[in-house]
Amino acid sequence: MQTEQTDRLDSRGIAAAAVFVLAGAVALWDTTSYSDVDSAVFPRTVAIGLIVFSVSYIVYAFIRRGRRVQPSGGSSARRVALVAVMLGAVAAMPWIGFILSGLAAFFCLTLAAMYDPWTRGRMVLYPLVGAVIVIGFFALFRYGFLVPLPEGRLF
Amino acid sequence: MFAEHFAQALTPLNIVFALFGVAAGTIIGSIPGLTATMAVAVLVPLTFTLDPASALILLGAIYTGAIYGGAYSAILLNTPGTPSAIATTFDGYPMAKRGDGDLAVTISCLASVVGGLVGAAFLLTLSPPLSEVALAFGPVEYFWLAIFGLSLISALSAGALAKGLMGAALGLLLSCIGVAEISADVRLTFGSQTMIGGIEVVSALIGLYCIPVLIDLVATPDRHLKVETEARGFRLAEALRLVWREKVNLIRSSVIGTVVGILPGAGGSVAGLVSYSEARRTAKPGQEYGKGEPGGIMATESANNATVGGGFIPTLVLGIPGTPPDAVILGALLVQGIRTGPQLFEAQGSIVYTFIAGLFLATALMLPVGLLIGRYAYKTIVTLPKALLVPSVAFMTIIGSYAIRNSVSDVMIMIVLGTLGWVLSRAGIAASPIVLGIILGPIAEQGFVQAWTIGSATGDLWGMFFGRPISLGIIAFTLVSLFYPLMKGRFARWRMRHAD
Repeated sequence: MQTEQTDRLDSRGIAAAAVFVLAGAVALWDTTSYSDVDSAVFPRTVAIGLIVFSVSYIVYAFIRRGRRVQPSGGSSARRVALVAVMLGAVAAMPWIGFILSGLAAFFCLTLAAMYDPWTRGRMVLYPLVGAVIVIGFFALFRYGFLVPLPEGRLF
Repeated sequence: MFAEHFAQALTPLNIVFALFGVAAGTIIGSIPGLTATMAVAVLVPLTFTLDPASALILLGAIYTGAIYGGAYSAILLNTPGTPSAIATTFDGYPMAKRGDGDLAVTISCLASVVGGLVGAAFLLTLSPPLSEVALAFGPVEYFWLAIFGLSLISALSAGALAKGLMGAALGLLLSCIGVAEISADVRLTFGSQTMIGGIEVVSALIGLYCIPVLIDLVATPDRHLKVETEARGFRLAEALRLVWREKVNLIRSSVIGTVVGILPGAGGSVAGLVSYSEARRTAKPGQEYGKGEPGGIMATESANNATVGGGFIPTLVLGIPGTPPDAVILGALLVQGIRTGPQLFEAQGSIVYTFIAGLFLATALMLPVGLLIGRYAYKTIVTLPKALLVPSVAFMTIIGSYAIRNSVSDVMIMIVLGTLGWVLSRAGIAASPIVLGIILGPIAEQGFVQAWTIGSATGDLWGMFFGRPISLGIIAFTLVSLFYPLMKGRFARWRMRHAD
């Protein structure tokens, strides 16, 4: 959910555009190391386009102040937890295997997304459902679709 | 003669195969990360022991179902199950957010059936002449087709075209990461082994669409979708009325889907985007594309299912697969001893016509199967508690993006891109232009570089890019698509001023 405010400088948009200019410059620099000109022509064109569009937006934002996207509220801690748990699970996957990291991620994310009070029924049901989903999908992908899901190196 | 083959396709065993294929394809396609190509590839060994006609009916049914299945997660989770359902998210998810997810699912089913039937009808009646269309498209036409797809940015970034262009350029740049297809230079990896494989399109798609939804979902106790107190069933009558109102859009999108499906390498994602662009351009006053307009779902879903029949045209007539699943099916045809080529329809007409009849059958069966699965999918997503929905979807994104190339790096990239997408959305830069750039980047680059090389070698670079009739047609459509909303708005304001 986003709301709009008027007569404000779009500082977030300007910051993003500035980062894009930097990214375009880095990409341009990278194209100088390619051995074949065919490899460079497209990324170089796109990088120049990125820089031009971004600089144009910065100028436009300063000249014509107007719409600014404002973020909605909500728990930042839970947002960070979601990303951290997912990244952690993927990083742990080669070490502890797919099932364990999947189970751990599922339970941590259940905690992060839980807003209802924990009743005895939920304390039993939710982990059970989590285990069924993780193991069920593991079996489907491993034995049904023959996807070699990572096995742990530690055990 | 066709009636005879249709009767052959209608044996109880073939009907069972078609039903199983459609259901399996739909379920596989609905899981983010599992594409139609994967659905067909995984189930192709089942067909090796079957007789050729039954095998082809099963494969056609799986393919048809998988393309349709992508619409569920696009509508209910804002994550296209397959790349061909990208444009379904534009109006499908807003419809679901306002409590019309059941209607959106039914509309997508009806549109998919219409698109599938139109594609199959073209396959049956006009295969040989239409296959020549595929041969008429050179690198420069593919380049302009990709640019046409990119022109949709103007629609996706209403009020912030500069931000849309920035997003698309970023997407195009991201598509360059990894080993260059043309000259094998390692680009934009900065020494990272994780990046050397490039950004996998489906992983990027899952990340950019799904992770921001999860990030916002976890932050508040609000429900994912509006829960209706009274059961409203399939809402079939309402959907049929809407489909009838949009019949021109539906037929036009189905034809576009068939033609794009014929072009090798273009596929359902390009077909869906081009059809959406055309539907939006010809919108009637009051139709707000991108905000929950049923016409947007119809355009995309009919077009992507029409690519099934369209893709089979060059596959069967020329032996050139139109889409990646066609390539897998081509392999299955060879295993069955069927030699594709211009003589196929005469030499092995019995098998081919039974297969086409089976495609009609599978598409028709998609209606009851799709409606039934869609209703349960909608009910499940709406009623599932957030504490189970968030981890379930997050887990599916991880396993889905891993399964594409069996790569942990793809999963990492998916999560990082998704987080970046959320951050950029805070700055008003939408995910859709970035996704467009990533998907269309390789098509645009390959066409651009090849056309550039040929143009340079022949000394007629300008003529190469701007002197071919098909290219000029696509350029004209692109310009109209890009500037039409602007011109339409100005014209409306001018009329209002003069009316006052």
